[in-house]
Parts: sequence; structure tokens; C-alpha cells
Amino acid sequence: MYAEIRDKPSFANIHVKLQPGDQIIAEADAMACMSSTIEMDTKWSGGFVQGILKRVFGGESMFVNTFSTQTGGELVLTQPFPGDMQCLELNGNTMFLQPGAFIACEPGVKLGLGWAGFKMFIAREGLFRLKVSGIGRVWFGAYGGIFQKEVEGEYVVDSGHLVAYEPTIGIRIGMAGGIFSSFFSGEGFVTRVSGPGRIYMQSRSFDGLAAWTNAHLW
Amino acid sequence: MYEHFSGGVFSDQLDGGRAGAEIVLTASGVSARVPDGQSFAIPYRECNVEICGYNGRMVFCRDSTRTVTIFCDDRKFARELSTASSGTLDAQLGDALQRVRSQSRRGTLVGVVSLAAILLFIVGCYFGVRYGAKGAVHSLPISVDRQLGKTAFSSMDLGGPEVKDPAVVAAIQKMVDQLKPHAAIDGLDFEIHVVDSEELNAFCLPGGVIVVYTGLIANAENPDQVAAVIGHEMSHATLRHGLERTSQSLGIWAAVSLLIGDATGLIAGGADLFQVAVVNSYSRDQEDAADKEGVRMLHEAGIDPASMAQFFKIMEAEHGDMPELFAWISTHPQHADRIASVTATVDALPERQYTPLDIDWQEVQSKVKDVAKTTKGDR
Repeated sequence: MYAEIRDKPSFANIHVKLQPGDQIIAEADAMACMSSTIEMDTKWSGGFVQGILKRVFGGESMFVNTFSTQTGGELVLTQPFPGDMQCLELNGNTMFLQPGAFIACEPGVKLGLGWAGFKMFIAREGLFRLKVSGIGRVWFGAYGGIFQKEVEGEYVVDSGHLVAYEPTIGIRIGMAGGIFSSFFSGEGFVTRVSGPGRIYMQSRSFDGLAAWTNAHLW
Repeated sequence: MYEHFSGGVFSDQLDGGRAGAEIVLTASGVSARVPDGQSFAIPYRECNVEICGYNGRMVFCRDSTRTVTIFCDDRKFARELSTASSGTLDAQLGDALQRVRSQSRRGTLVGVVSLAAILLFIVGCYFGVRYGAKGAVHSLPISVDRQLGKTAFSSMDLGGPEVKDPAVVAAIQKMVDQLKPHAAIDGLDFEIHVVDSEELNAFCLPGGVIVVYTGLIANAENPDQVAAVIGHEMSHATLRHGLERTSQSLGIWAAVSLLIGDATGLIAGGADLFQVAVVNSYSRDQEDAADKEGVRMLHEAGIDPASMAQFFKIMEAEHGDMPELFAWISTHPQHADRIASVTATVDALPERQYTPLDIDWQEVQSKVKDVAKTTKGDR
């Protein structure tokens, strides 16, 4: 299977060429177009209960679509908002994705849902996170550009900007500065991540967009 | 037989720098085997242990050059590492666990304190707005009371036809005229409506719209008792209880808008409130305050304030007191309590000679009976 991320970074989409017998699993509604030779099979995402939990708490769809072909073909996968996409090669390791970030994966990747905790809820990252593990490629998307960082000591990420991180990353919620500067600088709560491990961040946040839009509605 | 755990490895020798791995605690050290078959090992004597990660219990074993890190978040891993290393790593594990526990305790404490502070702030804001709105109503012009009263009155079902008999209306007007100069605030134009109904009651809407039921006139032994009830009801208007009560029943945003001077929500909410439950619209404290203010007005107007307690006795005989449970949740105080409270207030007043109201009460009551007969005949 050949996959390439095109139109980076603003309107990224995944162009996939499937050889006979290849499969790719994608988030429901991710397919933008495909060859007529490709078949689509819809299943509960990880089973009935997992599917419901992923929808309610993980910000993901209850269903996933498996695309396969007997003769070969191509398809384009996309995400609902403008922004970049990233491909991760899992080699038996695990990665946590923020709700709504998952786009597609190869069949060797296992999708699960993990409790993120109240601290992540306060950091506006959701109570649950998607856990991807196994062997194979995973594609995820973000609002705006995606940049990564190898964290060794401590690193500060503004709330709403963390997209994906390894389980080796420790997370604390803190204030950006003192009480006054935290609340009047507009930064408020921030996520303090500690390594070792890799994190992926998005250059825009939905909260920022919502706040900007609200400010212009009045 | 060594125990196997699921974990991972960080190493520059791996494509992408990391991989999942099967970890084995051997007699000499920690070893990890990644899916492509590559193996890594760190002898216990070179092992630097840290505990952190997303769940605060992931154990990291790093070699002395920090080029290889083997990690695992299995609950049993730390204990098994201690056993397998024959205590070599116990000091490091103990320190790391101590740090994690202390961070966890500090995090929990900060979380609880922050949550309590946020809750306190929200509750403080809520009550601040509520009490602020209650206070703000007193700075509103009296025209707001009038608008509220008129809006509620225009859509209110009074429960009977209005009595236009000049003798009856003039008698009530005389009482109001005698009390009005002693009202707590100026600028209220009291408007009287006598309604033919057996209700032993009267009420005054915000702004001064007074409704007196003929049942009250028929049951009162003398005009002073009716004047006492009217004095009590006028007090609700002069003390602006209607606006206070409405401000308490407003939604939080209407209360906030009231604080910045917008009374439209107050008028709409108040009209609804008084339309639905005019008699029970006031709180117990407001009823007590109206009793005391009514007694003061009667005293100043030269009408015997003891008439108020006398009328409560009539009401007590008519309706009796409610059971304790209902009395507790009722907005109106028990008759017995009111009689005692009003009597105490009257006793505390300075000595004064009161003059009974110069109204032919028998004539007024007979007119009221005639109106009642006519109304029944019409039905």
C-alpha cells in the first residue's frame, strides 16, 4: 500500500493507492473519493461498547470503515477541518491521540480508548484519549500545522494544542505564570509535559478559533 | 524462568528512535527485545531508575550513557525489578517512588484546593449577583414598580366583578387617603379596586394597585380592621417587596442585566410572578416587615394599630393555623405568631389617642351584601 499526504499543511489529505489484498481502516466520513474497485465495509470501532465509548468520550465516530480491493485502486481520506496530517510508524509501541485526531491506520494497529483523567479535562484536552498501538502506520490530523518535539526535561504546551504524545510522557496541569499573569495574559492553564518521549502539537487551537469567532459576533 | 513484561525501548539504534518491546528481568540485568528481533540489555549495576510517564508509575531503566532506555508501566514491574536485582536498585526505586507519591499528594492537594476555590468563586458570584440585584432594585425609579404592577394587573384574573358602588369605594379610598401621607416613600399613586368575591383578602401590586375583596369587608368588625389590612398591603408596595421578590426569581442573566440598569427582564419576570401567585408572592421576612411597617403607618395615621391583630384573630377563627410542616414551608407566618408579633410591636409604640375611622360601616357592609346578591342573581 502506498500512501502520501498531499496539500500540506493547510488542507492536507491522504492519497492512498491500494494493491490487491491491501486494507486501510479509516474514521467514518473520512473518505473524500475513491475508485469504484474499492469496497467499503463498516464495523463498530472496537466493538459495540468501545464504539459507543469512543463516540461519547473519545470524540471519534462509533464506526470505522475498512477499505479493501481485489484489483487495486485509490482513495483519498480527509478530515473535517483545515490543517496538517501526520503519519506515525508504530513498531510495537503505543501513542495517545487527542479526541478527534485519528484519521486512518493499517490493519495491524489496535485502536483503544484510555481514561485521560480530570487534569486533561481541565487542560481542555478531553476526559478520554485514543490509544493506538501495535505495528503499522497511523495517520492523524490537527487544526493548523503539526510540529513535534522530543521532550527530555519539562516542556510547556498551551491547553488545546497537544495532539498526540507517547505514554512515557508525564503530564501536569499548571498555570502559565503567577495568578495575575496567568489569567490576564490570556494563557490561563497550560499543560506541563515531562519526558522522555515525543509529543505532537498543533499550531492552532479550536478554543482559540471559538474565542476569536465569539469576539467578532458582538 | 524469568518473568516477561510488555514495554518499550528508546534507542538511536532503532528506526524512529523507539519501539515496543518484550522486557525480561534476567539475573544480570534488564533486557528488551523489539518486534524486528533487535535486543537491548542494561546490567543492574549500570541501571539508572526513574518513575514518571503518563500514569506516574512507568519505570524507566537507563544505561549509564543514556543511549538506551527500557521502560514498562506494568504494575508489578517495580517490585519484580527490585527482586530480580537482589536489592541493588532498591535505593533508587525507593527515592523514585517517594518523589512520585509526594508529587501525587501535592497534585491532589492543589486540585482539591483549586476545585474548592473555583466552586467558592462560582457560588460567590451567584449570590453576589443575586444580592446585588436585590439591592439594585431600590435604586430603580418608582415608575418601574408602576409599570410592573400595571402589566401584572392588566392580565390578571381577579376572581370576580369589580364593585363600583360609590359608598364602598369611598370607604376604602378614605382609608388609603388617611394612610398615604405616612408611606415610607413618596411618589406612589395608590389605585383602588374593590372586587366582589368571598375571599377574605386584599393585595397590593408593586406601584400601588390595591385590590380589596368584598369578603374582607363583610367579615371585618369595623373599618379600622380593613384599614389595618390595607396598611399592611400598602407596606409591601412602599417597601418595594415586589421588585425585591422578582429580582430573586430572575434568571442569573436577567439579574446581571438588572445590575447594569436594564429592568426589562425584571418587569417581564415580575408580571409573570404576580399573575400566577399574587397572594404567596412575598417571603416570610417580607410579610413580617410589612406587618411592622403597617403598624407604624396606622399609628402615624391615628388609626388603632391593634386592629391588625384583631383582624388576624378573625382570620385565625376563619381558617385556623396550618399543620407545623406546612407552616414551615409556607411564605405566610402562622396567625398566632403574627398576632403575638404585631401585639409586641404595638405595645412598643409610644402612647397615643387613636380615633376610629368615621365611616358608616354598617352601610358599607350592607352595600357589599347587596352587590353579592345582585352578582349571584346574574349568575
